[in-house]
Amino acid sequence: MFPSALAPSGSPLRRLLQLTWRYRAACLQVFAFQIILLALALGGLSLTGLSVDVLRHALDPAAPLPSWPRGLAQLADWATHRQLLAVGGLVLGMGALHALLGYAHGIQSGRVQHLRLVPELRAQVFHKLQRLSFPFYDQNGSASIINRVTSDVQAARSFVDGVMLQGGILVLTLGVYAVFMLRAHVGLTLACLGATPLIWVLTRRFSVWAQAAYQKTRQLVDEMVLTMSEGIHGIVVTKVFGREPEELARFEKRNRAVVDQQQDIFRRASNFTAAVHFSSQINVAVLLGYGGLLVSQRTLTLGDLIVFANVLTQFAGQISAMARVVNTLQQSLAGARRVFDVLDAPIDIRSPERALGMDHPKAESLAGSLRFEHVHFAYPNGHLALSDVSFEVTAGTCLAILGATGAGKSTLLSLIPRFYDTSAGRVTIDGHDVREFDVDTLRRSVGVVFQQTLLFKQSIADNIAFGHPGAARADIERAAQIAGVHDFIQRLPAGYDSLLAEEGVNLSGGQRQRLALARAVFVQPRFLILDDPTTALDAHTESDVLTAMRAVMRGRTTLMAANRLSTLRFADRIIVLERGQIIEQGTHSELMAVRGLYYRTARLQGVVDEARPQALTEQCV
Amino acid sequence: MSQAVLEKPLPAPARPSEVVAQRPLDFAIIRRLVACTRPYGRLRGLLLVLVVLRSVQLPGMAWLMASVISGPIADHDFSGIALGVVLFLGWSAFTAGCFVYRSRLALELGEAVVSDLRRQIYEHLLRLPMSYFKRTEVGRLIGRVVHDVDSVRSGVQDVFFVSVVQCGSMLISAVLMVYYDWQLFLIVLGMAPGLWAVTRYFRKLSSVAYRARSESFARVTASLVESVNGIREIQSFARQDHNARSFARLIDEHAQINMHSHRLSAVFQPVLIFNGQFFLAVLLVLGGYQVLGGRVELEALIQFLFLSTAFFSAIPIVGEQYNQALTAMAGAERVFRLLDTRPDWEDRADAKDFDRIQGHVEFKSVGFEYEPGQPVLHGIDFTALPGQAVALVGPTGSGKTTVANLIAKLYLPTSGAVLIDGNDLSHMTSRSLHRQIACVTQQNFLFSGSVLDNILVGRPEATREQVGVALDALGVADIIEGLPGGVDSKVGERGVGLSIGQRQIVCFARAMLADPRVVILDEATSSVDSVTEARVQQALFRLLLGRTSFVVAHRLSTIVHADQVLVLEHGCIVERGTHAELLDKNGPYSRLYRQFVSGQAELAPNTSARSE
Repeated sequence: MFPSALAPSGSPLRRLLQLTWRYRAACLQVFAFQIILLALALGGLSLTGLSVDVLRHALDPAAPLPSWPRGLAQLADWATHRQLLAVGGLVLGMGALHALLGYAHGIQSGRVQHLRLVPELRAQVFHKLQRLSFPFYDQNGSASIINRVTSDVQAARSFVDGVMLQGGILVLTLGVYAVFMLRAHVGLTLACLGATPLIWVLTRRFSVWAQAAYQKTRQLVDEMVLTMSEGIHGIVVTKVFGREPEELARFEKRNRAVVDQQQDIFRRASNFTAAVHFSSQINVAVLLGYGGLLVSQRTLTLGDLIVFANVLTQFAGQISAMARVVNTLQQSLAGARRVFDVLDAPIDIRSPERALGMDHPKAESLAGSLRFEHVHFAYPNGHLALSDVSFEVTAGTCLAILGATGAGKSTLLSLIPRFYDTSAGRVTIDGHDVREFDVDTLRRSVGVVFQQTLLFKQSIADNIAFGHPGAARADIERAAQIAGVHDFIQRLPAGYDSLLAEEGVNLSGGQRQRLALARAVFVQPRFLILDDPTTALDAHTESDVLTAMRAVMRGRTTLMAANRLSTLRFADRIIVLERGQIIEQGTHSELMAVRGLYYRTARLQGVVDEARPQALTEQCV
Repeated sequence: MSQAVLEKPLPAPARPSEVVAQRPLDFAIIRRLVACTRPYGRLRGLLLVLVVLRSVQLPGMAWLMASVISGPIADHDFSGIALGVVLFLGWSAFTAGCFVYRSRLALELGEAVVSDLRRQIYEHLLRLPMSYFKRTEVGRLIGRVVHDVDSVRSGVQDVFFVSVVQCGSMLISAVLMVYYDWQLFLIVLGMAPGLWAVTRYFRKLSSVAYRARSESFARVTASLVESVNGIREIQSFARQDHNARSFARLIDEHAQINMHSHRLSAVFQPVLIFNGQFFLAVLLVLGGYQVLGGRVELEALIQFLFLSTAFFSAIPIVGEQYNQALTAMAGAERVFRLLDTRPDWEDRADAKDFDRIQGHVEFKSVGFEYEPGQPVLHGIDFTALPGQAVALVGPTGSGKTTVANLIAKLYLPTSGAVLIDGNDLSHMTSRSLHRQIACVTQQNFLFSGSVLDNILVGRPEATREQVGVALDALGVADIIEGLPGGVDSKVGERGVGLSIGQRQIVCFARAMLADPRVVILDEATSSVDSVTEARVQQALFRLLLGRTSFVVAHRLSTIVHADQVLVLEHGCIVERGTHAELLDKNGPYSRLYRQFVSGQAELAPNTSARSE
């Protein structure tokens, strides 16, 4: 789908060069434009100098003869008025041409960056991100991942734009200027460029320092903003404990830190800018002195001197631009590295070559039984989350998993749709290892509802039909009815088309979970995985969601993590996990009889023990 | 022709891409901004002197250069050239020296004003009552404030000073040109309005383009954030291709918008350059004719070549500053509006400090509405004796949390009165009240910092030993010590790094340390694992012991142990009594209780959902 010209190896620099190579034709065009533009600009300047010499010669025949460039030699014989008119016309014409080509040049370089490079790279990174396995997401914070598509891609872009294009243009410009000046007078050129290395050194030193300093400032500013936003989010705590003065002091400390950090930058930046300006003034002073001498010795015309002065100023400007290019190079390398990290990250979880398709031809015949066989699982950081877990769920029944936070419930559930693969042992569906199936088909046959449901900023209908975009409304409504949200949705002003956005419908926790159930049941999965969907709900809302859960579970093999007895009671069988191991399993009554962790949990939640119906919670407080 | 030193706006720190709106110049706002710089009067005065100096220095440099070229150099006068070079160098050094201070002082002034504004804003926000935060989306508010304050910065540090320098340079160049030849100057003058109009036109367009760009970028980011946060959903529903297609559409749109704004600058730059070339051509022909006719000196023509550059180059810069000024107006207006927000209520002027309360809490026919005309509490009456535990029970939206908020004086009742030890809360200073009550909210909010910092919020002056005593008293010292860094463990933004149970315990410790007479607690609905749950309940029990307490209850054990249960429905107390009494009544509470405890009792333990 996307050109994969980026070889998956090699240093970022090499790969950036390869990336640039892909846009070589456009880059060459930009360079060609640039050469013409430079020539036109210098041509205009020379003509100005020439006209000064023409005037001077006309006023004072003793002054040196204006030196007409080769193409215009025949003008030398014209009357001065006509000469001036011709030069003025040429300046105007070249100016117009310069403007037109300048526009074309701008458009062309904009096209490469904005219409090709950035969108292509972004789409490529996004495409890859969508397919990367969960371990990648576990290892990288969401903010860092988002930055890779936004600012890091921009940084990588700036390699083509800010380094290759600008750098190329700079080298061209400096080259053309240098040649132009050297042709006019070698000694003067060298003398005038005397202070230039100083500008270069100053600029480099400052930018190295400033990069670190600005980084520090940004960090301090972030901290200051964070303190403010945290204080506002936690305003209740501050108010209730009457800690406004302390909170203000906390903020003011961070606020001051920013100001203090800035002072140093202000001082150095001001000194630096002044120093660079002054250095280029030294160049001009040399020009006035030495150039003036040459003019009086008649080795140089006055017009040439004026042209020289202008070219020199522009030359100085280009030197500081050079430092910018070097900076950009460093930044773009850092950004590019992070972009390539994504593009190179292996997709751990893939479909096998000859995958079993689940929906055809034997979708109907798929019974839906599930087995865990001696499953071990360790996270990439080495944390062992599951060890030797074995159990079986017969088709159409419900298994509940009880355990403390971190016992491995969610990990266990996420092995079924292959969010992760087992470290050892296997998970089978109807006797086939889950790794034999096509991944997308496998996942479509497993409906998942998480503890905290993420709904998308789309219409309710689109959220329910998330698994099959563009499905018929009737199917969507059927799913909503099963999950018990149809009536609620119909009562909304825009019904199924209500947008779930920040400003949109405010859903309660219970409504969100029922929408999630509708979304899961909509794809008509064989398996249902419920990762403790009622945990964040209060008792009243919970009962509605439980009703919906029962409806959705009907006829499907269900696995659910649960903490509350109210949920656990749905299950045909229950396994109790502790530190990644199954410590108890059986039916509710079997487990109550064992008097283990399950029993203690049940007691704690005040659920009536069959043996002693009124023994409530006394012991636990 | 170009001249070396231009007065450019100073580099500002990176600002977030946010929608920029503009506002016409407003004298009242300007006056207020000027007032903000008053504490830095000396800095401001010095700057004023420096910018006036610089407005002479810049055209002076162009003039010196042109004079040396057209004078001594043209006349082959060696000593004149030498003198000119020395003068030029001296003048440059003087100019550079002034620039160092002009730049530094302006940056310092900007930063000082901005930092003052930030402090004032935060101080003001802390003073506003809860009702303000309920109706304001604070996340966006903060983002905007940060951005607005920064646009005020450029208004303070750049707009005025840069404009003075540039306008001054223009004026002095103009005077010099008039002195050399007023007729030639008419050409310069004739072109200025056109250049100004072009600059303004492009600035305006590019402001619009900038806004479009940041809006479209916000859409790209929003879609991206959703895709990253929803990766579980996307992969489990195999939506990758569909999402990639819709993201590609967004990027495409963004690319077009980027291209559009790029196109603007691709037009503007050539137009500026062409303007210069056009003037040059006219000057060469008309000026040249005049020179040939003997009406104008060649020297004047050379001066014009240099001085006109100083004159013209100021125009786009002033145009840019004008644009900045409009943006700063909009930012300043929003900042000042925020600072001028009147609190809905403040402590009465005659409110008194009550330093030792007993904890006798009474509601006298209290009514309350968040929004006028939408009452959420009606005629609430109850009394809690010192040391009593009161459980507030009822469905979501019945007014439990509102009752708790009124006790904490986060809001004032719309009608009736809340009394503590017989004194109306409105006669009590919030500060003295808040020193004696503690609150644990449902979110268990933690600040980033250490666990210790968070506990110390309860009593900042407490020692580590006192914190240890509080933890022991709660019976949770082992849980806190079990954290990787003990009490010094780092807590991330909003409590990241701690489990829900651990966060609750830190919040309890914070309340315990405050040693309050009244505790208000909104129990978290999220269930933690069963082991921690038992510890949390135990700690809760110890925290409430001997204090008047109000608990928005979600746990049965809390309700069972309460001295008084208030059952709320639709903002009214529908039942009250102890758990046992209420169960006997067989009213709303017993219905709630059944739903609560054995709501699914009809599902006998071994009857599976399957059987249906």
